[in-house]
Amino acid sequence: MKILVPVKRVAALEDDFRIRDDGLDVEDEYLSFDLNEWDTFALEQAMLIKEAATAQAGAAVEVVAVTIGPDDADEVLRACLAKGADRAIRVWADAITGSDPIAIARILAAVARRESPGLIFAGAQSADQGHAMTGVALAALLDWPHVAVVTALDYGAGQDRANATRELEGGVLQDVDVACPAVLTIQLGINKPRYASLRAIKQAAAKPIETPTLSELGIGADAIGPAGSASRVRRVYIPEKGRAQLIEGSAAEKAARLAQIIREYKAA
Amino acid sequence: MAVESAAVPPEQITRILFEDFAPAAVTLFYLIGFAAIGAFLWGCWVQVRKYRRGQPAPEAAGDLAGRFLRMAGTVLSHRTVERRDPAAGRAHRLIFYGFALLFIGTSIITLQEDILGALFGVKFWYGGFYLWSSLVLDLAGVALIAGLVYMMIRRGWIRPPKLDYARPDRQPGDPDYDRSAYRREDWAFLWTLVIIGLTGFVLEAARLVWLQDRPGVWSTRNWSPVGAALAEAMRAGGLSAGAAGLLRSGLWWFHGLLALAFIALVPRTKVKHIFTAMGSLMVRDPLAAQRLPKLPDDAQDAAAGASAAVGYAKITDLTWKHLLNLDACTKCGRCHEACPARAGGAPLSPRDLILSLREHSNRTLESTLIPGEADLDIHGGRVGQISSETLWSCRTCMACVEICPVAVEHVPIIVQMRRKLVEDGEMDPLLQKTLQTIHKTGNSFGESRRKRGGWAKALPFPVKDARKEPVDVLWFVGDYASFDPRNQKVTQAFARLLHAAGVDFGILYDGESNAGNDVRRVGEEGLYEHLAGSNIAALGAASFKRIVTTDPHSLNTIRNEYPQFGGAWTVSHYTSFLLELVNQGRLKIDARHAYRATYHDPCHLGRFNKEFDAPRELLRRTGCELVDMARSRDNSFCCGAGGGRIWIPDPVGKEKPAQIRVREAAQIEGLELFVVACPKDLTMFEDAVKTTGFEGKIVVKELLELIEECVVAQQVEEVAAA
Repeated sequence: MKILVPVKRVAALEDDFRIRDDGLDVEDEYLSFDLNEWDTFALEQAMLIKEAATAQAGAAVEVVAVTIGPDDADEVLRACLAKGADRAIRVWADAITGSDPIAIARILAAVARRESPGLIFAGAQSADQGHAMTGVALAALLDWPHVAVVTALDYGAGQDRANATRELEGGVLQDVDVACPAVLTIQLGINKPRYASLRAIKQAAAKPIETPTLSELGIGADAIGPAGSASRVRRVYIPEKGRAQLIEGSAAEKAARLAQIIREYKAA
Repeated sequence: MAVESAAVPPEQITRILFEDFAPAAVTLFYLIGFAAIGAFLWGCWVQVRKYRRGQPAPEAAGDLAGRFLRMAGTVLSHRTVERRDPAAGRAHRLIFYGFALLFIGTSIITLQEDILGALFGVKFWYGGFYLWSSLVLDLAGVALIAGLVYMMIRRGWIRPPKLDYARPDRQPGDPDYDRSAYRREDWAFLWTLVIIGLTGFVLEAARLVWLQDRPGVWSTRNWSPVGAALAEAMRAGGLSAGAAGLLRSGLWWFHGLLALAFIALVPRTKVKHIFTAMGSLMVRDPLAAQRLPKLPDDAQDAAAGASAAVGYAKITDLTWKHLLNLDACTKCGRCHEACPARAGGAPLSPRDLILSLREHSNRTLESTLIPGEADLDIHGGRVGQISSETLWSCRTCMACVEICPVAVEHVPIIVQMRRKLVEDGEMDPLLQKTLQTIHKTGNSFGESRRKRGGWAKALPFPVKDARKEPVDVLWFVGDYASFDPRNQKVTQAFARLLHAAGVDFGILYDGESNAGNDVRRVGEEGLYEHLAGSNIAALGAASFKRIVTTDPHSLNTIRNEYPQFGGAWTVSHYTSFLLELVNQGRLKIDARHAYRATYHDPCHLGRFNKEFDAPRELLRRTGCELVDMARSRDNSFCCGAGGGRIWIPDPVGKEKPAQIRVREAAQIEGLELFVVACPKDLTMFEDAVKTTGFEGKIVVKELLELIEECVVAQQVEEVAAA
């Protein structure tokens, strides 16, 4: 069987940064990039199933990592290959710039149709944009069932149903029995992601990364980019500083100052 | 002493071998002798075969004559055996020289009796030569027994803790915990040799009494003074010549058979250290811990595939040299005593690690056929295996390697084993995170590269960017000195000192990455290669005459390890560099201080790079009164930060090495300053002074800060104005 793991190269802000002149994003030079943390857990979950199958000499499991992004995104695929993914796919065309999560899910759906995996493990959300949307949208586009924010999984390679545990608000757990193929979005802490040594990363550099074109995937120009997106970013900005203030001094002084502030507000 | 009994022809002044033996008895003895030698040779072959099952050790090849001379010098002088244990050294010297002389004496007899005499009729063991050799061998026997008796007293009554074989890496009840077999072997060894020696003397005396009437025997007795004294006592006790003859026959066989059994067992028992220790000293690498082994080229070659092994996973992954190291260990316990991890209650003793691996190799590699892969695994908790907790406890401070009298390379073996753990991701999650951070940002603080030179902004003068203009001195700053707020103050102080002395210097700013010294000692060799490669490229693109650093860790890897990757530069620690400036008159230090101070030798500066005197000289010039701690210079006690341990949380409830060290310093009466010369030391010891309750009593100071306080303020102002 095959497990498809969509991954994303996410940006992290440095302490000081500048907004781009077009006001739509942060200047690239103030960003550092890495594999989305949620995706490391998703990949690890796929690897655990693969290794359990190998240990029991059961059905072979192929783990395929896929990302949508320009050349730079190869580094996160290399990280996946270094950790043991069997294949890596990267889809990119300049026309993809400006795609919203649903348009991205459209491309992933095309890849999934080509690969026909038994399961798709996506990170529950991305660390930079945090839409928590791509995975679920992908399930909808494929017309597959999905389980979101999975914190535990009971599944053996080749089974036609998976038992996933989700965490609900208020500390309640929910066990979900789902028919495969399905999309599971994986929450942090479900496992302990492994370390990819630099040597393994270097060796992964020699492995091929498949780069199918949009036409090979059968995706039209109107399905992606701004044309294929129902939403767009209008502005990125730093909000004005809040009015919180730190009261210093002894307990009595703090209390007096606090009482004074409350009186001022009541009066206002 | 003149040769007496001129009446007796010298040819008759000798000892007739096998006197009064029936020919069959002589034949029997030769058969047993050949059997013993056969067993000895077979045992030696089994050992050699075991070592040959290891990997090649190219670093141990070449310069055979030089290696032999250095080894012989070490062995003959007992230089390494007497360090930090002079009494044991003296006793061992007595045993060594006693044994060696007795061996040579016996060989001379064999040479005449079985080779020159038997084949060519040449005889020389008579007359004056015989008498002198009797005297020398008697004295050798006394030395041997005296040394052995001291060792018995040491094991039986003095009982130093390092000899009790208590191991910190296993709990009582663990099937691998018990090391009492070693204790039994130690005693068996001592008793066997003592009995061989004593029976030799009694035998000598019995012969004198037995042959007292033969001309030239009794009259020359005093050439073997111990035998003579015993013989006098026997005669006084009423032993007749006939009874003495009987005693001699019986004892002869006992003594002879015991000696032959001893020879037969040499390769199978601790006695083999005679050979293995000499072999280990022959292949000693003086930079074993300072310059860790590179991965073989096929493991680096990405195209070669993932199959190439990294580090030590199986016993057969060890080089033959490291397998020989395991057998060279004499269990003397000096490394056990010196290890800061062991002292802090960590599950590591360098001695026990070596012994576990030795037991493993003896069990698996001495057999005719090597067992399957699974039995060769050296990682884990089973008998003869090493746990990851043990391996991660090591601070790579080199205290064990440095004190080992027989050149065992504990640290390289540990790092090779860690390479395997890193490859498998078996490490503390925080360490894993730090390694990823270093890969991403080039520093262990997770700060942006652009901030690396940020500390320079606060200075009243610009610090040159060595990437853009040539400088005399390239200052390699290092992570802690660049990013740690406390250390940044010291870094700025050094910049002001360089500026005041008119040194043309610059830094690499964001072109510099973590030097990689500790990353390499963690065992993440791939990341180390990445860091070293990036720094070597940045340094190679800059134009400078020499490198100076305030960080002993960077110093070590740039000086000793970058040459492995094609980067060879002159690099100095700031202490020797500042002393140069002082001696050239470019920097004036006023002896303004009058503190009572002690100086902590950083492992990577002292033990690793043998720089003990420059920091002490500078400290003295500030006017401070220097009082060394009990453990100083090459015996300095690690702060606990080395080998990547600064990135791994220490277990709660156990005393940290830095705390042990501060308590040691506090024993110096009236101590005011604890002076360090390493950024990591500053962090570790400022913390330890607080947690041990010495805050306000002992102040931790970086030597640079003391120096800056003593540099004539005028000089700073003059240069600043110019």
